[in-house]
Amino acid sequence: MKTIRKQLLHRQAILRKNRALLVRGAAFVLAAALSMLPQTSSAQLRDFDELPDWSGAWAMEGGTVFDRATWTGGGGSITVGSRAHPPYNEEWEAIYARHLALRDQFRFPDTQSTCGIPAGFPRMFNLPDPVEFVVRPEQVWILTENGPNVARIYTDGRPHLEEPWGTYTGDSVGHWEGDTLVFTTIGLKGWRDQDQILDRSGLVVSDAVQVTTRMQRNGDRLEVKMIIEDSKALTEPWHVTKTFRKLPDGTRLYDYGCAENNRNPINSSTGQTLMLGPNGESLIESD
Amino acid sequence: MKPVNSLVLVGLMVCGALLALRPAIAHHSGAGFNTGEVKEITGTIKEFQFTNPHTWIQIIVRNEQGQPEEWSVEWRSPNSLARSGVRPSTFPPGAEVTMRINPMANGAPAGGFIGAKFNDGTTVGDWED
Repeated sequence: MKTIRKQLLHRQAILRKNRALLVRGAAFVLAAALSMLPQTSSAQLRDFDELPDWSGAWAMEGGTVFDRATWTGGGGSITVGSRAHPPYNEEWEAIYARHLALRDQFRFPDTQSTCGIPAGFPRMFNLPDPVEFVVRPEQVWILTENGPNVARIYTDGRPHLEEPWGTYTGDSVGHWEGDTLVFTTIGLKGWRDQDQILDRSGLVVSDAVQVTTRMQRNGDRLEVKMIIEDSKALTEPWHVTKTFRKLPDGTRLYDYGCAENNRNPINSSTGQTLMLGPNGESLIESD
Repeated sequence: MKPVNSLVLVGLMVCGALLALRPAIAHHSGAGFNTGEVKEITGTIKEFQFTNPHTWIQIIVRNEQGQPEEWSVEWRSPNSLARSGVRPSTFPPGAEVTMRINPMANGAPAGGFIGAKFNDGTTVGDWED
């Protein structure tokens, strides 16, 4: 009798344990399913016909100097002696000065020359080659041929990620004010891993950076006004405006497989950009 | 030898003007080419690498000793060239051509493309006789 009673008690214990596991499992599945639902608020989405027409291909104006308003010296971002003047604090001005000195010796490599690291945000507003802006009710996509790079700006009312972990394009959410797209971008890597630059003069920001962007079309121009705030690197907000020119209707964008035939790889130990001959050996003497 | 077909020819005729708007080669440091010097080389096209991130024209040139030497001439991305009317067939293998380039500062057989003229007088890029 004792043995049977013992067995019954044992079976009841197993059943209780299984029930508890089932309840916990169901709760986990429900939580996982809920987390996959879009995190939207009750914001009213616009219809397609209420959105501005940013279709077609666009080209950035003014060359790949990130901040032309404060640029001094001639030429472009690889020209010796030229630079921008963001409101850096002392520590980050020293970092920029080091980068400029390396640039002047052609030893500050463009991280894009690795053909694997994205240009990221906001450098994607500072690239050669055409860009497309795809406007949908719930989000806007920025597609750059060069890279290629993709940014998603959610306009469906969702909040920012609670705990962004620092990525190349970060986390962008925004809304429409008339025909102006207003969005903020957080969760950017900046110079944290030393692989994100704004232009090849060595302009960088920190991983504390956040950008408020206003985009508006005026005729055949698309204006991008950015307010860049960075509690680690800047003493005050940095205002930068980039403009894009509409390219002729029908302009086609193409595949950009950077690693396809990259004959300008970077010597990772010296930062020197090499140039490979037909046999794969560098035509420039390596340091 | 006819280096380009007539359809491409029309595109090439407008290339010169369009190429005046060309963006700088954006990818590398720019440390290699002497942009203050123009060098003319004549030879036979070996290959037109119509590839990203930049195109390269491989051309066999006779050096001062009369020996064949392969030169590498870098041009813009195939994408921006395609939008300007240039095609992979613009530099067909075997074509005889004279090129103007910004040569390497260190004398290596390479340079940045400026313009080219084929035997039949067709020109590509920036070329003034």
